[in-house]
Amino acid sequence: MRALRLLALCTVASALVGAAWADTRTDFVVIVHPANTVTSVERRFLADAFLKKITRWSDDVALRPVDLDPASPLRERFSEQVLSRSVSAVKSYWQQLIFSGRGIPPPELREEDAVVAYVLSHPGAIGYVSVKTNLQGARTVVIK
Amino acid sequence: MRNVGAFTVWLSAALILAMSARARAEDAPAAPAVTSTPGSTSTPASADPRADGDSAALSQLAHFVEIHGFASQGFIKTTGTNYLVQNSKRGSFEFNEIGFNLTKDLTDRLRVGMQIFARSVGSVGTYTPKFDWFYLDYHFQDWLGFRAGRTKLPFGLYNEVYDIDSARVPVLLPQSIYPLLNRDTLLAQTGLEAYGYVRIGPLGAIDYRLYGGTFYFPTPSAPGATLLQYDVPYIIGGRVMWETPLEGLRMGGSLQAARIDADYTVVGAGGAVIPVSLQFPYLIGVVSVEYIAHDLLLAAEWGRWRADIETNIAPATRTVNERAYALAQYRVLPWLTPAVYYSVFVPNIDHREGTEHHQYDLAATLRFDFNAHWLLKLEGHYLQGTGDVSRDLNDNRPLSSLANDWFMILAKTTVYF
Repeated sequence: MRALRLLALCTVASALVGAAWADTRTDFVVIVHPANTVTSVERRFLADAFLKKITRWSDDVALRPVDLDPASPLRERFSEQVLSRSVSAVKSYWQQLIFSGRGIPPPELREEDAVVAYVLSHPGAIGYVSVKTNLQGARTVVIK
Repeated sequence: MRNVGAFTVWLSAALILAMSARARAEDAPAAPAVTSTPGSTSTPASADPRADGDSAALSQLAHFVEIHGFASQGFIKTTGTNYLVQNSKRGSFEFNEIGFNLTKDLTDRLRVGMQIFARSVGSVGTYTPKFDWFYLDYHFQDWLGFRAGRTKLPFGLYNEVYDIDSARVPVLLPQSIYPLLNRDTLLAQTGLEAYGYVRIGPLGAIDYRLYGGTFYFPTPSAPGATLLQYDVPYIIGGRVMWETPLEGLRMGGSLQAARIDADYTVVGAGGAVIPVSLQFPYLIGVVSVEYIAHDLLLAAEWGRWRADIETNIAPATRTVNERAYALAQYRVLPWLTPAVYYSVFVPNIDHREGTEHHQYDLAATLRFDFNAHWLLKLEGHYLQGTGDVSRDLNDNRPLSSLANDWFMILAKTTVYF
């Protein structure tokens, strides 16, 4: 009986943790240009794209990641959940690339509406916005 | 002349601050004016903080020139021995760097860039501006790209960010693997580089760099000899890093081979002029491991460097030295990042005992980020041995006669954008 209670407790706790995780996962959506046929991406692909380790989609279109401002709470959550690094660590990463001549970071936009507009205006663009943002035709992709 | 140089550095720093302030002003929130309808490609006037309000600017976002720069002023003080700079025992402000770079994507595969850099670290630099790097980069695919020009040498984890204060926490990277006074030699080469990033499924990814060319080497001097010519016929090398399935963990190795040739004449007994041909081939390698997770960074590297001296007047000699360090840093607050490292340098692996045959360095750093463009670092070192100390900085006294246990403190502030 005691074991059953413990099991039930664990199940409830797991469900709560899972719900919380699911909640944070649905905090933002990843968006691409309407002409992009990709429907889902691996989280690792997303991390590589935003760190510009990969620069092209599978159909050879140039990948154009677009970020939110470093002060944005959504940027912070995206960075922690997708890149597994804090915004500061990502900033340090880009400092290394900028001053060694190896790359330049994605543009950082202050407004989520601006991210949507950027994605709509660049066929290879990929960005993220909060779930309540008006996507204006931008397509969402699922993170696997 | 030195004062003029210092004035130039501080004037440039003031300009950088002014530009940073302007950049912040441009970053000020502006109401988005999105007017696009679903599926349209019209763009908001304020979409990009770097745009000037012209709606056409956004569509040209990928075509702008990136401009970045930095200026640093440092202070160094040691006990027991002068280290890195002439008057470190007394305390020295000759610890400055300044640079700025321009990068432009000509197409989504082709990029050009350049950086101008000047510094004053003791007798090195004296604010002489020079091209730190410049290149033409063709990114054929993610797995293959080419870069031609003067490019930074990928050696170990951090050789390329050696002089980029904002990109690291310690004021001094571990001197065993990243010797400050060798910066001009070890930092960059002029030639060609191939690079790529290859995903290998569930095994992670491989990041590789291969290069070949030549590099700058300061005019070698030899007392009593007349230099006829010198040359660096080649430098070749590469770095391969494996990004493991454990996200944030990467490991790999770097190898570099080069040769420096010099021809002298010396006057022998009876006034005879003797030609002396000197060759200085070296092979250096390091293995590296780094783990980054959220605000934590752990790194360790170990390497051996082999240097030969071959002449036509004496038997060849070979020296192998050993270098290693372990580093940990963690951002505890958005504005505060402490770091510690322990570094070991053995100039000759055949002789490890004695003050002059090793240098152990325990360092601790606090990095304060006041804002996105200004930082301050405070650092303390406890050192044992004088294996990496220059006799030139210490009145040519034998290194064994200098203090075995000594301390060093550094402070450095940097503005950057």
